This record gives sequence, structure tokens and C-alpha cells, in this order.
Amino acid sequence: MKKMQFGVMLRGVFPQGDDMRTRFAELMEQARAMERLGYDSLTKGSHFSTYPMQEMVQIPFLSRVMAECPSLRLNAGIVLLALHKPLEVAENFATMDLMSGGKMIFGCALGYRDVEFKGFGVERKGAGRRFEENLDAIKKLWAGGPVTMKGSHFELEEARISVPLVQKPHPPVWLGANADKAIERAARLGDCWYLNPHQRLDTFQRQMEIYKRALDACGKPFPKELPMRREVFCAPTHEEAVRIAGPFLKSMYEAYEEWGQDKVMPAGDNDISQRYEELARDRFIVGSPDEVAEEMLRYHRLLGVNHIIMSVQGTGLPQSQVLETFELMAKEVFPKVQQGM
Amino acid sequence: MTTKKMRYGIGMRTQYPQGDDMVKRTEDQMAQARAADKLGFDSLMKSQHLAGYPLQEFQQVPFLARAMVEAPNLRLITGIVLLSLHKPLDLAEQLATIDVMSGGRLIFGAGLGYREVEFKAFGTTAKDRVPRFIENLEAIKRLWTEDEVTMKGSHFELDHVRVSLKPAQKPTPPIWVGANADGAIRRAAKLADAWFINPHQKMETIARQLDVYRRALDELGKPFPKELPLAREVFIAPSKKVAMDRCGPFLAEKYKIYHEWGQDTAMPEGDNDLSLALEELQEDRFLLGPADAIAESLIAYNKKLGINHVVLQFHWVGMPQDLVLEQMQMFAEEVMPKVAQGI
Repeated sequence: MKKMQFGVMLRGVFPQGDDMRTRFAELMEQARAMERLGYDSLTKGSHFSTYPMQEMVQIPFLSRVMAECPSLRLNAGIVLLALHKPLEVAENFATMDLMSGGKMIFGCALGYRDVEFKGFGVERKGAGRRFEENLDAIKKLWAGGPVTMKGSHFELEEARISVPLVQKPHPPVWLGANADKAIERAARLGDCWYLNPHQRLDTFQRQMEIYKRALDACGKPFPKELPMRREVFCAPTHEEAVRIAGPFLKSMYEAYEEWGQDKVMPAGDNDISQRYEELARDRFIVGSPDEVAEEMLRYHRLLGVNHIIMSVQGTGLPQSQVLETFELMAKEVFPKVQQGM
Repeated sequence: MTTKKMRYGIGMRTQYPQGDDMVKRTEDQMAQARAADKLGFDSLMKSQHLAGYPLQEFQQVPFLARAMVEAPNLRLITGIVLLSLHKPLDLAEQLATIDVMSGGRLIFGAGLGYREVEFKAFGTTAKDRVPRFIENLEAIKRLWTEDEVTMKGSHFELDHVRVSLKPAQKPTPPIWVGANADGAIRRAAKLADAWFINPHQKMETIARQLDVYRRALDELGKPFPKELPLAREVFIAPSKKVAMDRCGPFLAEKYKIYHEWGQDTAMPEGDNDLSLALEELQEDRFLLGPADAIAESLIAYNKKLGINHVVLQFHWVGMPQDLVLEQMQMFAEEVMPKVAQGI
């Protein structure tokens, strides 16, 4: 395994009125560029009812994009696990693991939007419990044998998934977590904590202690792979990078705030309504190739991060700029990071 | 849509016995999709079953999303979605994604389902499947066609919901509803763009039920659908006897499992026994035999019944890949031209 892995989150979020067929073709071009440039993973998130933005859905998108980038790992980052039925999730990921030749990563988290909970007939109050029982059932199903289990919203009676997984015992389970309590859950239930894009480095440093203590309490070693998602943008100079990416990042965080993302973030690091400069510090990785490489190494040194999943496109960066950035990072940033580790 | 008088689909159940190497079978399935595209088929259909043991089988949405790459000219049919199991917001967005990614090639086939293991795993019951089917379909149509939807269902609530993306086809992708029982056929007339006629029933039963369908359409003031699809099993050989000898074991195994799963409990009185010996089962139900005879049957279905899209199942459990590909090619070369001449 490389010392540091680099992935991109193809957020694939576009404003109303955009022709999504054109945007889809552009995303496929991005995936092909990642394959050619030697990236390690591709991530697609999950949200429903994303108005005013348009977005393609995770499972069909990942199943389709795998044809364009056969070498890349495919991260469902994240599945809103409390919303779904475990048999369906276990089955879909088994099929995808098979079709991709064992490249799937199962990222999951709780979610926070009422419109999603309601749409799936789920009480937000019991979501934590559903999350845990779903993950438990999925892991049992992935083991391959017949599963009998009565959950609060499903019943498995001698149920078996229809195809086996390629990865044994199962695809890596990455747990997204913002709140301290969720981080303890990630230690207990996940193969690793999947560090979110929203929080500042100093918050992570504090929470890493919680994570380590929780791992110790379960007798689990520190994970071999520690992934982190960040907003990343790179241009030949610092000023150019900020000029291009700043407005997109700012408008995206305004949308997050509207959705209520900040309500599930811990006190002291839950204000995402600040000016760009304040918002960006220790949160976004934006700058020249040297700055971006150095910042990535800082996350490695201080936290142990060894898989960085970058959101590059924000909400509207033009295709040509995205492709240029992919190339610039692969040529100028990644080698520096690998050397620095 | 073309103006062809008869269209052909390939039905991909993707079912294999336990023990088969499914990594290898993935490649086989993609090769079937490529062959269908090259041979001039019009559509590719994937069924839906969960917990399909003792069979191995791929899941519908991921499979269609991946197979569309291999078959860029084919329409993609969900045949069928077990609609009562799912949440409408989830399905509306997944299917819209497939429609957009494929450039508007989705056909949304939906049905009820009948397996207890599936109902339980989704926290629902066979008893609730009809009301859930109806409210789910209504919600999906509304999500696809309205800007903002507020609707309270029995197992979901849409609270000022606007879907993340709409299908490429306007107003919606074609909606085909599978139905076995007479009541279900009347429901299909009311709710769907077409009744998707199943592969299990005798043509004699179907001819009778088409009257039920037509009457229901008349009562609703709806025209007969432009596209009337039928699914069938097919195997070409010099004679029916040779066909039975060559494909019998595979086909018999498939229908034995259908019977065990309880498919026939959803079929109408007088034509609801799938446990018959193959000899009797195939009669008036499967297309087995010489290419000429199969072409004549299809011409008759078209002229007498109005069927103009047949989705053909060439592959049953345990059948070797070479034989499947050979059958697909024979069908394209020997049956399709004769049907085109005859209608």
C-alpha cells in the first residue's frame, strides 16, 4: 500500500437548470482522468431531495462509474445507514463488490436532514439504534450464512445474500462521525473513523484522543487506514487558488448551514457561517502545490491520516479547471507528499 | 422510439447455482449484454429478487447501471421492481439517475412480489403490498412530474420534497406494471402506461385477460397502449423434442424454484400450477422449437393480441454461456427477420 492514498469525491452537485446529461458526461471524464493520473479512490456521497441543487444518486452512480476507472477503489462515502433496510444494503454492496472486482469501501453515517428521515419513514429519535442494528445485520449477512434476526424495523428469517463478497471478510467499513459520542461509536463498530470535511484540525486533535481511548476500551488497534475528507483546491499560486475556489466553497457552506449540518457539530467548532478566511483556516486545503502538500503532511503528522479524499469541484467549478487541478495535484503535490512521509 | 412493429428485449435474471464463480459470471453477463446490443435487440431487462438462495443473482439497480455501458443502444427495463418493499423517494431518485446516465433509456417495470423473506426483511407484509404499491407508484409519479411534493403515505412522509434530479424522459419513463391476477390487470390498466405481461402464463390465459385489460382501459377512457410488452422463455432447436432435450433440465430447475418461492400462488385459478412436469408446463407457455414456429407464434401474438415488445429469457440456471450466446444469435438471425416479414 502507498504511504498516502489520494481519492476524489465526485460530489456531482449542480445547480437547477444545468443539463445533468452533460454534467454526467463530464463526471465520467473526471473519473477517466483520475484513472489515468494514478489516483487511488473515487467517492460518491448520498443525499436525497437536494433542491436547490441537482445530484445523481450513489448506488447507480458508483455502479456506472466503475466502468471508467477499473483501478480505483470505490467509496460510498457515506451511506445514510439509518434510512435503509439492511438486506437491501448488504445485497447491493455484494453485487457492487463483485462487479468491481473487490474495490468497494462501505462508508456510513447517521445523517441529519428531516426531509430524508421523513421520506424514509424513520423517526429521527431512534436513528442511532437503527444505525447500529442495520450495521450489525449487514455484517452478519456479509458473512454469507443464513441470518435470523429480528430488528426494530425488519426481520431476517434464514436470509442469505445472493452473491458472495470478493473482499473478505467484507469491504472496509468507514464510519463518518462529527459528535464525540459518534466517534466512540465509530471506534466500536467501524474499521476506522472517516474524518469529516467540516471540522477544524484542532477539533480533530481533541477528538482523536477520544477515538484512541475508545479503541483501547474495545481492545482494538489503531486502524491501518485513516481516511479524511477535505475540500481541496490547488493552483500554481496561493492567490489564484483562493480567487478561484473561495466563492464556490463559501456558497457550499451556506447551503450546508441551511440544511442544518452545523447542528450536529461539536460546540466550539460549529459555526460555519464565518468569512471565507476564517472558515478556511485548518479546514480547507487550498493553495499552491507546496502549500497543499505541506498541509496534507500536517494532517498526517498530527493525526495519522493516510488517505485523503478531496472534494475539488465544489458547486460549480468549471470542468476544465477541475481537470487541470487533478493533473496539477497528481504531478506536483502527490510526489511531494509521498516523499515527505 | 423507433417505428419497428416488433421489438425484442433480453431478459437477464443473472441467476447461477451455488458454487459458481461469480467473478467469472460477471464477465459472462457483460458479454451477454454486449451480444444483445450487437445483434440488434432493443432492450435489456433485469429482474429483482433479494435473498435468492439457493440461486446466486446480481441486484437490479447496480446491475443495470453497470450493464448500460456494455449495451449503449438498448433500453433498460427494471423487470420488475418489487415496488411495495421500497420507499418512493429512494426509488424515484435511483431510477431517475439511471435514466439520466443512460440518456433516457429507462423503462420502469413494477410489480408486487410474493416472497415472505423479502416482505419481512423490508419490515412489511404480503397483506400490505397492494396499498403500498399504489401509494408508492403515486408518490414516484408525483416526484418525477411535480416541482414540490407533500404527501403522507402509510410508511413515508414527503414534506415539501423536491427530488435531487428528474428523469431525462418527459413526463416520465414508460411505466409497465406486471400483473398475474385479473384484479391486478385492472389495476395495471389504471396506473400504468402498459400491462407488462408475465412469462408464466399460458397464451390462452393471456388472451382472456387481454379482454379484461381492454375493458378496463375502455372504462377509464384510456387508449390501448402504443407498446404492449410480453416476457417469454425461448429456446430454438430443429424440433420441439430436441429443444426439450437440450434446455429441459435448465428450464425445469428454474420453474421448480419459482414454484418453491410461491410464484404460482399469485397466478389466476386454472393456470396456477408451476409444479407440472416440463412436458405439460411448456405447452402454450414457452417458445421452444424451430425458428419458423417461434416466428409464427410471435406473429400471431402481434396480430391477434397486439403484442409488440417481447422480452426473451435465453438463460436459465446452469445453462452454459456458449449455449446462451448461440441461442441469442440464432434468434436474431433466424427469428427476427421472419417476424419482420410476417407482420
